[in-house]
Amino acid sequence: MEFLATGQEMSLMNKLGILTDAAKYDVACTSSGVDRKGNGKSMGNCVAAGICHSFSSDGRCISLLKILLTNECVYDCKYCMNRCSNDVPRATFTPQEICTLTMEFYRRNYIEGLFLSSGILKSPTFTMELIYRTIWLLRNKYGFNGYIHVKAIPGADAELVRRTGFLADRMSVNLELPTAEGLRALAPNKHRKNILAPMRQIQNGIHANKEELVVYRNAPKFVSGGQSTQMIIGATQENDYQILNVAESLYQKFELKRVFYSAFVKVNEDKLLPTLPGGPPLLREHRLYQADWLLRFYGFKAEELLDEKRPFFNVLLDPKEDWAVRHLEQFPVEINRAPYDTLLRVPGVGVKSAMRIVAARKSANLTFSDLKKIGVVLKRAMFFVTCNGRLMYPVKLEEDYIVRSLTGAKERIQFGSDGMTYRQMSLFDTGSFGREPSRTERIAAASGQL
Amino acid sequence: MLVYQCEDSLEGIFTAVYNAYEEKREPADTMLSLEEELFLFAEYRVVEPDPDRALKVMRTLKRKFGEDDYMRICLSLSAPDPAKAQAVYQTIAAGLAGKRNLWGSLFDNLSNDYVHQAFSLARGAMNENCHLRGFLRFQELEGGILYSKIGPKNNILTFLMAHFADRFPVENFIIYDDTRNLFGVHPAGGQWYLLTGTQILEESIDFELSDRERQYQELFRHFCHKIAIKDRKNLKLQRNMLPLRFQEYMVEFN
Repeated sequence: MEFLATGQEMSLMNKLGILTDAAKYDVACTSSGVDRKGNGKSMGNCVAAGICHSFSSDGRCISLLKILLTNECVYDCKYCMNRCSNDVPRATFTPQEICTLTMEFYRRNYIEGLFLSSGILKSPTFTMELIYRTIWLLRNKYGFNGYIHVKAIPGADAELVRRTGFLADRMSVNLELPTAEGLRALAPNKHRKNILAPMRQIQNGIHANKEELVVYRNAPKFVSGGQSTQMIIGATQENDYQILNVAESLYQKFELKRVFYSAFVKVNEDKLLPTLPGGPPLLREHRLYQADWLLRFYGFKAEELLDEKRPFFNVLLDPKEDWAVRHLEQFPVEINRAPYDTLLRVPGVGVKSAMRIVAARKSANLTFSDLKKIGVVLKRAMFFVTCNGRLMYPVKLEEDYIVRSLTGAKERIQFGSDGMTYRQMSLFDTGSFGREPSRTERIAAASGQL
Repeated sequence: MLVYQCEDSLEGIFTAVYNAYEEKREPADTMLSLEEELFLFAEYRVVEPDPDRALKVMRTLKRKFGEDDYMRICLSLSAPDPAKAQAVYQTIAAGLAGKRNLWGSLFDNLSNDYVHQAFSLARGAMNENCHLRGFLRFQELEGGILYSKIGPKNNILTFLMAHFADRFPVENFIIYDDTRNLFGVHPAGGQWYLLTGTQILEESIDFELSDRERQYQELFRHFCHKIAIKDRKNLKLQRNMLPLRFQEYMVEFN
């Protein structure tokens, strides 16, 4: 097998450092979606839920060996550290190096598999071929049976993408920026059409493969973990509403498993890039992920969460709370009767707790203390639910009041969350009035010093 | 009140469950206890673990409640809480007495305190099992054997062994449970088994790390260092996701 030889030999440690550094802005580091038992002969299996093996100091999970094949690149995308106009150390792995690294890390249980991406070396097709060779070697010669996630390079030959798909568990094509205009401005060598073409190809491949598997049970599986994509948030002027709509149409029209959002980190100085005085837009990224979950698991639609007039997410309330306080006519919800879909829309009730509620209310009438056991976050849910027709506390179903309580819930709830008593309000009742006055304070009060 | 005192093992607790049913005990008036603590006005019976009886109970549980619920029962019995025996017994009793629909689970009725207790014990053990599947680290010893040391709260070594035996069928590996002094041993291509600490001292293992091991540990540390984005540094989030009690056994934090 042939590969590109670099001029002088670099140590494996240096290469790993450079190519990890270059890959770290890729966000999709999940190992989920595939359940594959070990075959008893070679190394590896896959668990559908995915396994996180470590967490780096930024709190992101390390699940896969996330590296670039090479950080040499002929493209000049403004936001990217590896663009050809940057003067950074360059390195290229040989396929053998990647294979041994993966195998040795895997058998020490450091990683769940390989995430292989690459800069564009010479041409997209040439790069894709290198990627294909590497994972072919890993699967067939090294007998690796774990998780493999590879990038499909836009513009690469379709046959190569197809062949790679039969070896990989998940493939992804990066959308890079949410809109075509943004892409044109910041990534002059990339085109929206080129990005969507392999995405569509993989989607069709997965469909064809499903039909094949119905007839031939042992047919080779094509991208069985589905495909994902990612886009950069905050590098261009799009609003949250546009981004969410793009994500929704990707889920519906391209049947993606995941869309990842990556808060823009400014690594290059360029006049086309925005300045970020407050650091990367992490809260915005967080709100987008919350909304993403609402789209995928809670039956929400993008236009329910945001619209033309309010194109950005609320900073203080999460998207579900925000939706709920704007639709108070649908609340309160009766826990013991409401259908599953309605329960899912209550803030503080997640998929698991909604399923547990539905299961548990078959055998008993649920009360608020049962809800607490089930795992409902009563701090948020108490404003929106009733148990047997009763609210937890006498709260007002009024937008201002609820927003005030939700945003500073800890300080504002006047009763201990366990006590469930209803006291007459007194002049001295404040949010923090849970504590008994101490002896010295009582004496001070009696002698008029307080 | 009749209290069955049993030993803290799957076998012991299942035997006690069998005895309670054999003697046609009313569950509300019966208790399974792992502790020596005595109650007033209670009658005591010490239960000798009996593999045949335990097997019968296992079979019944699998048949009545299915594989998934049986796994959950085993998980909750791996917890370190001494109240687990009573919680599991009452859960089983409620499950066998009540009419459950076809798709329902034994742990559906969370408003029952015992069911909830057994459920949350199982959840805790399951979570730790999921954590350790990822956070466990093997080190290669001089002879090529992979060795790992863990300190879990729950007794989940059997679950971990099953997972890693499926994952690394061609490796010789050993997992050592530090808190219970228990070894899980997997010979390459063979069936795995458990040994207590005293048994393994007789066979000798060389605990010297291989040279290649040091090299790959260094490579992985370098990788973990490089993969972090400085602008997003968030040590609190890291600690939330990866609690300190796991970090002391992991190579990248040493």
